[in-house]
Amino acid sequence: MSAAPEIVDRLVGFGTALREAGLPIGTDDVLAFCAAVAELRPSDSEDVYWCGRTTLVNRRDHIPVYDEVFRRFFLHVPVGAERKHTKERHAPQGSTGTVNLPDAEPGDRESEEPPLVLGLQASSLEIERNKRFSACSDEELAAVRRMIARIRVEPPKRRTRRYCADPSGSLVDVRRMARSAMTINDAAPTLLRMDRKRKPRPLVLLLDVSGSMADHSRNLLQFAYSMRRAAQKVEVFCFGTRLTRITPLLDRRSPDAAMRLAADKVMDWDGGTRIGDSIDAFVKDWGRRGLSRGATVIICSDGLDRGSPATLAESIEKLERLSHRIVWMNPLHDANGGVPPTLAMAVVGPHIDEIASGNNLESLEAFAARLPQIG
Amino acid sequence: MTGTGEQAPASVAELQDELRGVGYLADRGLGTAALIALRLGRPLLLEGEVGVGKTELAKCLAALTGRELIRLQCYEGIDTHQALYEWDYARQMLHVRALSEHELADADTIGGLYSEDFLLERPLLQAVRAGGRAVLLIDEVDRADDEFEAFLLELLSDFQITIPEVGTVVAEERPIVILTSNRTRELHDALKRRCLYHWIGYPTVGEEIDIVRVRAPEVSEALAKKVVDAVHRLRDMDLAKPPGVAETLDWVESLGAIGAADLDGETAVDTLGSVIKDRDDLEFVSGDIARVVPNG
Repeated sequence: MSAAPEIVDRLVGFGTALREAGLPIGTDDVLAFCAAVAELRPSDSEDVYWCGRTTLVNRRDHIPVYDEVFRRFFLHVPVGAERKHTKERHAPQGSTGTVNLPDAEPGDRESEEPPLVLGLQASSLEIERNKRFSACSDEELAAVRRMIARIRVEPPKRRTRRYCADPSGSLVDVRRMARSAMTINDAAPTLLRMDRKRKPRPLVLLLDVSGSMADHSRNLLQFAYSMRRAAQKVEVFCFGTRLTRITPLLDRRSPDAAMRLAADKVMDWDGGTRIGDSIDAFVKDWGRRGLSRGATVIICSDGLDRGSPATLAESIEKLERLSHRIVWMNPLHDANGGVPPTLAMAVVGPHIDEIASGNNLESLEAFAARLPQIG
Repeated sequence: MTGTGEQAPASVAELQDELRGVGYLADRGLGTAALIALRLGRPLLLEGEVGVGKTELAKCLAALTGRELIRLQCYEGIDTHQALYEWDYARQMLHVRALSEHELADADTIGGLYSEDFLLERPLLQAVRAGGRAVLLIDEVDRADDEFEAFLLELLSDFQITIPEVGTVVAEERPIVILTSNRTRELHDALKRRCLYHWIGYPTVGEEIDIVRVRAPEVSEALAKKVVDAVHRLRDMDLAKPPGVAETLDWVESLGAIGAADLDGETAVDTLGSVIKDRDDLEFVSGDIARVVPNG
């Protein structure tokens, strides 16, 4: 590479500009960019554009940012003069709300409360396991969340293509027998067995965060966080009037930080519910691409739907075809087997495999214990 | 064996022309990405909607450069035995039997059990061995597990494979590597960083008509235009599975197969199954066919 130093400066400067705009550009990427430009000897800025897009961008969502920086840097178009690619995101009207999450872990945020008095008082946070979440005070809820965080979640398993040695397996492991016959040179090899390996199924959680569900959702969010920590393939979405994916936000060490981030990202806390449209959005944007294929989908909602039942029926039917099992967690569901007869529940009834309650600690624990058997 | 360097076309336009010669129309972006990949010897990761020609590019590059196409189709649960190499256990066992019957088993002949004769090559080993004579296509890498991705990472940076019994196989020259992903999940950044990246979008009407004309030269330009227009209207219709370029070509072929010289509402409904492959979409479109194929 023997490019003039000023050209290299310019190219490296472009890399820096991109980095400042938030793209993860490493030195090796800039090197590749320079190498590509040196190889192609671009005749116009379009060549430079494509060289950079191939070497410096590695995900589709970064393309609009790249375009803008390129325009500013090489074509000297001021910021915002042309923004045909960028999409502005607005919160839907009238559905923004603030969310108040009491911290589950003490001392994480500067607290305005007086320092805790140690001693007997601490035991006042002990709560009944079967007390409904909706009847809990803030302090109790924080305690509940601490306990939810300790629930062990084990997703259902599926058989994989691979095999592993298993003395009580149903298949004969010819390969292993051949190998052992070779080493021992045994005339009559012993029968070795194997069976299919089992792997956890992916879990997909769709949490209703609308007004009627807000109290439960916060606890379920904690439950989702625990699940995400316990199993690798867990995807979490929130919905009210629209669907928000919050999976990446839950990968925080502190559950409270994760909860706060999630609460900030979800725009429609305490808003209305459009279950059908939200499930439809999930199916279109994620389900179709294979996110829920072979997965256990858990929908947490009370079924008080303001959207159209026809959309709901259609979307849940599609979801049923794209996933392995659908579990509906309805906090209004009674342990004695009664589900309140809402229209939405009647519509989805034939398509779901299991109804759970999850409205108190006991039922959440029971659900976590039941989960491995579903599917 | 010819080197990648001297074989690569001199400019993007030249590569585009050569690709056109083997029936692949690449726009300038894709042409640049492919040329950089050829020149720098780096893997090229292609993402894009289904049916826009990601896999096809690898096939055409192989045809163009006269290299062998080695394809590794990824799927959930793929492991190194299916991707790299495996010992032919059954043959080894038979060999041992034969040796012991003639009382020939000694250190040498037993050592011979782990020779090339008993090694089953799988695509990645094949590609490393073939080196500069191969185009390696790692198809739908998003379907493989995370662990496999980590393993690929190692391979793509060094192009060498160590087989404990035989030794290390190193590619004398890097093969051209094309990876494709349908974005069913996000790939790890580490893997992406090893690769050049290009997103293939849907072609414009003009480009797509060209593609149809190159791929199906027997089709009249008027019909090609009609079909492409209809497909573009379908893509605007918020379908669950919008048709890709592959579907456009299928549609043109289906029309040819039933001997239709023109696309009207009736023939469109009859052959709709070749473009739309989802029942809900099919019902939706058949009910509103005039929007897709306006009369006159």
